[in-house]
Amino acid sequence: MAINKNSNTYIIIYTVVMVVIVGALLAFLATSLKPMQDANVLNEQKVSIMKAFGEAELNFDDVVTIGRLNGGEFVAVTEAQDVADVFALLGNRKALSEATDSLPIFKFEKDGATKFVLPIVGKGLWGDIWGYVSLQQTLDNVMITGIVMDHAGETPGLGAEIATETVQKMFEGKKLYNAEGEFAIRMQKGGAQNEYQVDAITGGTKTSDGVNDMLKTSIGKYESFLRATEVAAEADTEECCSGECCAEANVELNNEEE
Amino acid sequence: MKLSKNFTNPLAANNPVIVQILGICSALAVTVKLEPALVMGLSVTFVCAFSNLIMSLLRNGIPSRIRIIVQLVVIATLVIVVDQFLRAYMYDVSKQLSVYVGLIITNCIVMGRVEAFALANKPWDSFVDGVANGLGYAFILVLVAFFRELFGSGELFGITILGDWYTPNSLMLFPPMALIIIGCIIWIHRTLNKDLQEK
Repeated sequence: MAINKNSNTYIIIYTVVMVVIVGALLAFLATSLKPMQDANVLNEQKVSIMKAFGEAELNFDDVVTIGRLNGGEFVAVTEAQDVADVFALLGNRKALSEATDSLPIFKFEKDGATKFVLPIVGKGLWGDIWGYVSLQQTLDNVMITGIVMDHAGETPGLGAEIATETVQKMFEGKKLYNAEGEFAIRMQKGGAQNEYQVDAITGGTKTSDGVNDMLKTSIGKYESFLRATEVAAEADTEECCSGECCAEANVELNNEEE
Repeated sequence: MKLSKNFTNPLAANNPVIVQILGICSALAVTVKLEPALVMGLSVTFVCAFSNLIMSLLRNGIPSRIRIIVQLVVIATLVIVVDQFLRAYMYDVSKQLSVYVGLIITNCIVMGRVEAFALANKPWDSFVDGVANGLGYAFILVLVAFFRELFGSGELFGITILGDWYTPNSLMLFPPMALIIIGCIIWIHRTLNKDLQEK
């Protein structure tokens, strides 16, 4: 007896079998490839952080201290599970933008200078923008030493330029706060006027605005920590304003400026 | 004889991109550099070949009322397989291709070949047809990407070819230039193949 291929029973059985086979196949594939995919994502995060530090050739695991900011204090994270949690949070942009406590932060020390990398997340014109900014405290301010940014779908050639080295290089050496101590770093339409402004992207005004908001809100969460250490740096220099100690402090400062 | 014609036809005389004008969207999007263009071309070749093969094997058992759904399931499965492998083994390329890997599902070439060829032909013929159409697509993508990367960045596969004297023409990096290059390829192709010219 020939099977009627257009009967409802045949169609239902056919689709059910098909879906079960395909579902099993894809589930198996996804599970078996997941460890490698996760390793790729983790590696990318580490490379981005090293790029922000400006030390792309160094190995993240050897030189960087992973930490969280608990009540304004830098607390090193060492347990494997906690480290995994930090990276999971970096990968979850929504959770990261909503986080207010226990914020991830990365510390890197070289030649007596300490740099911190913070994750930044925000919204561009078409979708999410994110990245890492490397900061270093100076005597009376906080300086950007490097930044990496990426985006989900900004306009190629316009907003998408934020992911290029040309734009990211312009942030290096810029200050976060103006003379009045207000948070001032921004991409300025019409060109940078001073040391806390960066040229905005022509034709990418909305994305530039998004970058400004991203920097303000993301770095703003760390403000108390950045300010506190900044004050500490100032106090240190005030204590020793004469004699050998002063000369030493000056040497240190020179090192920092380099 | 028929098999070899099956294979060569989609590469030139009946190329899916420049004669049938299919798959233009992804051809514009992923041809800024050679590497993603090549990977995209090979991915489409893989999906096209195996969807043709599987559909041809199934062709006598598929209820005709739901054949489009079956086609979509097969194609979508293959695309997800490709996407998962790229994410695991070629993460950088997978990031550059972003959504366009997933969009292979909607590439008219794949479904067009399944519907027009695989459902009416034997598995091996269908497989060859799929490979040939995929390669026809890949060939045009690589050709476009060659010009765009060479003149847009002065590089090929990320290696600098044109030295410092060359100022990269960033216009080449914009999608309209891809369309213009494809237009030029179609123009040359039609000049060489008189039978394609409309009266």
